[in-house]
Amino acid sequence: MSEIDIKRISYLAKLKLPHEKEEFYSNSLKDIIKWVDNLKKIDTSETEPLHNVTEKTASIRNDEINKSNSVDDVLNNAPDRAQNFFKVPKVVE
Amino acid sequence: MKNSISHIKNSLRDKKISVEELYDEFLKKAKSSKTNSFNLLLDKENNILSIKESQKRYENGNPLPLDGIPLGIKDLFCTKGIRTTASSKILSNFIPNYESFVTQKLLDHGSIFIGKNNCDEFAMGSSNETSFFGPVKNPWKNKNIPTDDLVPGGSSGGSAAAVAEGTCVASMGTDTGGSIRQPASLCGIVGLKPTFGSCSRWGIVAFASSLDQAGPLTNSVEDAALILNSINKHDFNDTTSSNHLREDYATGINDKLDQKIKIGIPSDYLKDVSGDILSQIENTKKALVKHNIEFVDVEFKTTEYALSTYYILAPAEASSNLARYDGIRYGVREDGKSLDDIYLNSRTKGFGDEVTRRILIGAYVLSAGYYDAYYRQAQKVRRLIKDDFQRIFNDVDFILTPTTPNEAFKIGDKLDPISMYKNDIYTVPTSLAGLPGISIPSGLSSNGLPLGIQFIGNYFEEKKLLQIAALAEKELNFNEQ
Repeated sequence: MSEIDIKRISYLAKLKLPHEKEEFYSNSLKDIIKWVDNLKKIDTSETEPLHNVTEKTASIRNDEINKSNSVDDVLNNAPDRAQNFFKVPKVVE
Repeated sequence: MKNSISHIKNSLRDKKISVEELYDEFLKKAKSSKTNSFNLLLDKENNILSIKESQKRYENGNPLPLDGIPLGIKDLFCTKGIRTTASSKILSNFIPNYESFVTQKLLDHGSIFIGKNNCDEFAMGSSNETSFFGPVKNPWKNKNIPTDDLVPGGSSGGSAAAVAEGTCVASMGTDTGGSIRQPASLCGIVGLKPTFGSCSRWGIVAFASSLDQAGPLTNSVEDAALILNSINKHDFNDTTSSNHLREDYATGINDKLDQKIKIGIPSDYLKDVSGDILSQIENTKKALVKHNIEFVDVEFKTTEYALSTYYILAPAEASSNLARYDGIRYGVREDGKSLDDIYLNSRTKGFGDEVTRRILIGAYVLSAGYYDAYYRQAQKVRRLIKDDFQRIFNDVDFILTPTTPNEAFKIGDKLDPISMYKNDIYTVPTSLAGLPGISIPSGLSSNGLPLGIQFIGNYFEEKKLLQIAALAEKELNFNEQ
């Protein structure tokens, strides 16, 4: 198993780990990845990945409009809004 | 049984108690409880309209299937206008503007929600200790160390503890790798995980979408069947919702099984288990063998890979599902100078340790260079696990296993994540295969704590599964012990 670059992984997950916790998570991740490494010894060259266990879900419905989620309903949960928009810091100079 | 749904409905019908009095009684008990089973309790004023309508239906002689029954709802189901937090800081102020499919069906059938049950944060945990709102205490005590506070199991720990202590008649939980069955077992109640795709996931805060399934936690197998009748429906809003024909799961639940039944006991599950756990299986065998039920040893080839497969797939799906918590559209925002800072700060401060850990595992196994070796390999092994179950089901009707490898443990005792993950060794394989499983209480450990057994059925055979569980429940007679 190769080294785990905890800074890169946390960046991918949009997390900014506090400095003092980097080692904690890095060690924890290493232990778990080592623990799940036993899957590598199984020969799956003839096996297809499984995505949906029951595969009984092909359903067709009429294409009808129903009203849900008004703009106000949705924006009521926003931490910050301006008129009908989510408000965030300026992203374009 | 005194607190069963049918018994309570009879009392309401016979006017021994009114819907309002029933609600008051449960709410009073829930308010004075010290188990921390609820993140939120609903005062009578919040439900007064439903209570009055329910009472009217009883008076008119046409009550609905769950009319007036006070239920606890895991705080993972979106409930319209009622705070839904997933026991996370990041959702601690979230008020959904819609009702989940499952809880809507329960309301349509007359039940009344008493509150939202505490659970592990985003349903990630096996002890209910990862909740932002603090751990739930198991109402049961170790008779040899009665001062210890024990975990109720997880992640539906609040749902299980609430039913066990009688602060709701039944509750709803969700099960991704054992989160209904394991806490039910540790709290001495019944927990049913239906076949994946039976009950719609729409409106349930997503953890691992190929595994998540809603199900009831109840005092009896019959109650589980009654609730399943309400929630097991096809839903167009969930693309994995199955469109098979549903049955009436409660009618005839105590009928004699009309065919010769063969039950497989996986010998590989019973290696190294304690005497207490082994005797649950032995007692069940003894109790059922007189009903013309045959027991055979079976052996899985994939058991040792199940937890590894699960702890790749579930975190991978979680890291993708939890990408939506960004501090912009809903939930708690932590300020920052730039948009990116808001994302980083909100997520880092909003998620607890276990959720952060699982997001990191997921990001790692999905990242470039590791995707094929971990994620794709785990999906392939998942097929081998499913095939392994189908091979066994070619020969048997049900599989019988312990639900958990141990009794309820002390709060704070298991600090190492891998030893915590091993709690789900008997429930995770069923989840990966998508099969239905039910845990029923089977006896007490030498410390006087409840232990459970799990029956696993084939796909969509919940009717048969509930029948065998009801028979075992009657024979084992746990509630009279």
